[in-house]
Formats: sequence, structure tokens, C-alpha cells
Amino acid sequence: MKTIAKLMSVGQAAELINSGRYFNIAGDETVLKQLPQGNWIGGTIPYFMAEEGGTVTRDRVFVNEIEVFDEPPTIRFYDLESLPQLCRNAPEHGYTVVIVPAFSPCHSAFAENAPNYEDMYMKPLIGWVAGVHLDDLGKVSPKVMMGTTGELSDQHVVAIDVPLPPDKFANIDIINLFRPGDGDTITFDVTGFSATNCKINGKDASFADYLTANKVDTRLPLVADYCGAMINVSIKGIDEATKRVDFYAPIFPAVQYRIAAPVGDYVNGFQAALPQLDTGITFSCNCILNYLHSNLEGKRTAQITGPITFGEIAYQLLNQTLVYLTIS
Amino acid sequence: MKAEDLLHKLLDIEAPWQIVRIREDLGRRQIDVWVAPQTTKGNWLFGAKTASISADREHAWRHINLGDTRCVIHSEVSLTAPPQPWRGEIGQPFTNAMSRQIAAMMRDGIKLQSICTFLDITVGDLWKFKHGLDSGKTGLASAAASASAEAATAVSKVPEPDSLVWSCLLDGSLNLDIRLLSLKLLLTKMREQMRVIIDPEVRVLKCYELQRFFVRYEKALGYELSQIEKLA
Repeated sequence: MKTIAKLMSVGQAAELINSGRYFNIAGDETVLKQLPQGNWIGGTIPYFMAEEGGTVTRDRVFVNEIEVFDEPPTIRFYDLESLPQLCRNAPEHGYTVVIVPAFSPCHSAFAENAPNYEDMYMKPLIGWVAGVHLDDLGKVSPKVMMGTTGELSDQHVVAIDVPLPPDKFANIDIINLFRPGDGDTITFDVTGFSATNCKINGKDASFADYLTANKVDTRLPLVADYCGAMINVSIKGIDEATKRVDFYAPIFPAVQYRIAAPVGDYVNGFQAALPQLDTGITFSCNCILNYLHSNLEGKRTAQITGPITFGEIAYQLLNQTLVYLTIS
Repeated sequence: MKAEDLLHKLLDIEAPWQIVRIREDLGRRQIDVWVAPQTTKGNWLFGAKTASISADREHAWRHINLGDTRCVIHSEVSLTAPPQPWRGEIGQPFTNAMSRQIAAMMRDGIKLQSICTFLDITVGDLWKFKHGLDSGKTGLASAAASASAEAATAVSKVPEPDSLVWSCLLDGSLNLDIRLLSLKLLLTKMREQMRVIIDPEVRVLKCYELQRFFVRYEKALGYELSQIEKLA
């Protein structure tokens, strides 16, 4: 079955919702609020990779249909306390799509603790971090929405658990064009969204001073090799006064990071990195930092479409990475 | 056999240790037992020899249930006393015997929520225990191996849990070209855990955990399993 995955008007989305089918919807808060109640989860974001290319719009929503098989999906909110049950509650055979509001306590809790959740990596988990228009940063909070009740929240995570029949398999993968550069090995002693101290090739150092002294392009993420998966931690900024470096995802102790090698042409590189897939992509999202740093507005990333987000989730929180789900 | 002797036997308490106090509250389905080393003084409950537990050094551990009744054992914390099945580690919620029972259930793939239900223990205590194992802060050293898990792998290409493959994958001496993202992330996490886990039984538990992942996703792991097959 070919499912819908496209940018559309509120009216078109409302019509689909009223059909009773299940959806994962991204859009600006003002348009999400206009949608009728139904079988959908949503998150705020006005940036998209549409069929016509990178697009910013506050008037339309990106609708991803969720194919339903024998059993209906389950939609629920999680708060800070119940969030660790996310994977345990997931179906034994199926997958979960989750949306996390950026900058919320749930965002940081998920980022730091998800790898240790019960059943993590045992059940497919994909999702994205809701955001806002960059002009609205600090003025409006990113939110998620539970379509079944119409509740909008900047304090909850919304998830949809989708059971699959035994002959179907949900596969989650990533496309990350960044590779570790040939520079120094960087490690940290703590978990967190910020760091002052680090070890450069095993020697104690100030990370802020290191970045400044080496004129590091902070648009390039830190990259770590997780048994072949390149996992980024993007640099948010450097507070020169306190010598604190902030990140968009947590750094973890004992993980060896390197500053990424520069990526030349993102669009062509992306095309080259795109794997040959036997089945279509059911859901995907890409990072706002890739959108900004690679000037993706108006440009296409092959046939892959979806929201451009404040963080991507393929089991755990990722940065500057495209994540996608296929059902085979 | 006297009732007190039977209780000593049931709880695996041997001299010089002795039960010095019992509080039974059937309404709460819980029995609390205080255990201390024998002394030469008289005892109001269990005969000639008695002992006492210093309140500021007392620690309580949840022990294996007595029927449907929860059993909590109180004893003095001691860094020097040899391990006993009815004692636990400092800061841990369970006695060694209970830890062994839980570890066996985890090795058999029983879900944590189900373990909580079967044994009537709290999720919080179980997570504390699991965190202790994963972070290498606690072990099962005092537990005798109770190898039970015979996974149903008769027609599977996945090696048995006791195959060397799993420990080699976990300690990094064996590397595979991995395609499945979840395995890349899981193996990375488990290798981190193995760096700090020194207890041999907990390391075995981790091998079972990794093997279970392969059993669960055998169909999707053909590429990875073909590499393992070539090593055999």
C-alpha cells in the first residue's frame, strides 16, 4: 500500500483525518490547532523537505500516513516520569513513532537516558524533536499534539505504537554524511548538553579554548563511531565568559569523538549516500542544521521528504542526521 | 525439626549466623528476619546463644519469598564477612540468593515488568539492581551458577548463549560489519558496560542478552550471522 507523505493544506489534512486513518503530522502551531481530532500525533515545526524541495511554511502541514495492519495503533502521551516506559510499552512486533518537544525536560531526559530505557534497541523507535520557526526562538515553545484528544503540550512526549503482522519488519536507519575528521580524539568525563573540560588525545584541556585556538568550524559536529554508525553531537555555541560549550545532544563519557570532516556539496553527497531500498520509505526527517548549513531551501534530497526538525530520533537522539523508516 | 531450625534451613542461615528476631505481619504478607553472629549470651527467642545488631549498621535486603510472603532480612553491613546467600551487597536491594533468582529470570528473557509481578518486587528496586549490574558496581559473585536457559535455538543459525562469539563481540576482540542500526547502537552500549563489569556471572548475563537480540532479529541479521558462521 502506498501511504501519503506530503505537504498539504489544512483542509486536505482535515479531510484525511476525518477518514479515520492514522497520521504523523508536522506543522506550525497555528495550523496544527486547526486540525480536527482524530487518529494522529503531531509536532510543531514550519520547516519541511517537500516534493518541491526545502520549504518554510506556516500555512501547510506535512502529513505522513501510518499504515495499519491487523491491530490498530495506540496513541499516548508520556510525561517525565512515564517516559522510561516508552519502549516497554511498544508492541512486541511493530514500531513506535515519537515526537519530543525541544527544550522541554522530556527532551533532555530522553537525550541523556534513552539508551538505558528497558527494551531500548529491542523494539524499533523512530521520531523527531518538535521546534519552532527560528524567528520565534525564545518566544514560543515547541509543542506536541495528541490528535485523539486535541491536547497540545510543551511538557509531554507523544507516541504512536504501531503493531505489525509477523511477516512485516520495521527497519530504522540513518544517513549521515559526516565522518570523523583526521584531527584529535576528544573525550569527556561527564554526560550532558554542555562541557567545559575535555581530554584531547588523553590530555586535560578546555574544550572552548581548544575550539577557539584551532579555529574549528562549529557548524561541523563531533562524530563518534558506534560500531559503524556515525553519531553526531552538534555544537550549539561557545560561552566565552564561562568557557562552556553547549551542544544540541548530550556528550557521553568514554565515547571517542572527533570533529567531523567538512562535507562539500550536501545535496550531491546525499544522493550518493542514499542506499538502494527495496521498499519505500514510510517516514523520514532531517535536521534543521543540515537545512541551514547546507542551504537546502528550494533544494531536494533525492525522493526523501518529511519534516526538518530540531533533532532526529533513531532509537536515541541524533543531530545533523537524516533518519528513515522502511517496512518490508 | 524445630520451627526455628526449619526457618534457618529455609533461609540458608548457618552458624555462626543466627536468627535473633522475627517480625511477622501476615496482613502485609511480609516477614522480617534479623540475623546476627552468635554470641555466648542468652537469647529470648532462639536458645542459648544470642546476638545483637547495631541499629546504625543495620541493612535490609529483600530475600526470596516464603510462599506468598515477602521476606526481608536485616543484618549488619560488613565488608569483611564472607558472602552469604541471605545477605546482599551494600546499597543493593536484594540478597545474593534473590539476586541470583532475578539474574536467572533476566537471562531467560523474562521481562522486567513480569519479574516484578512474579516476585512481588518494585520496579524501582529492580532497576537499581539492574543498574548496579550494568555499571559493574555489583555482581553475582556469591551466586552459584544455575545455568538453566536453554534457548529454543534448535533450528537457528544463532550460536548458543555460551558460545565464545558473544563474549568476543562484547569485549571487542571480534568485530562484525554490521548493517542493522539497532545492533550497532546496542553493541556500543553493551561494550561500554562490559568495560566496567568484572563479575564473571554478570558478563555471562550480558552474553545471553546479546544472543537474545540475535534470536529476536535473526531474519534481519542474515548478513551479520553469515560472518559469524564463517568464524565457526
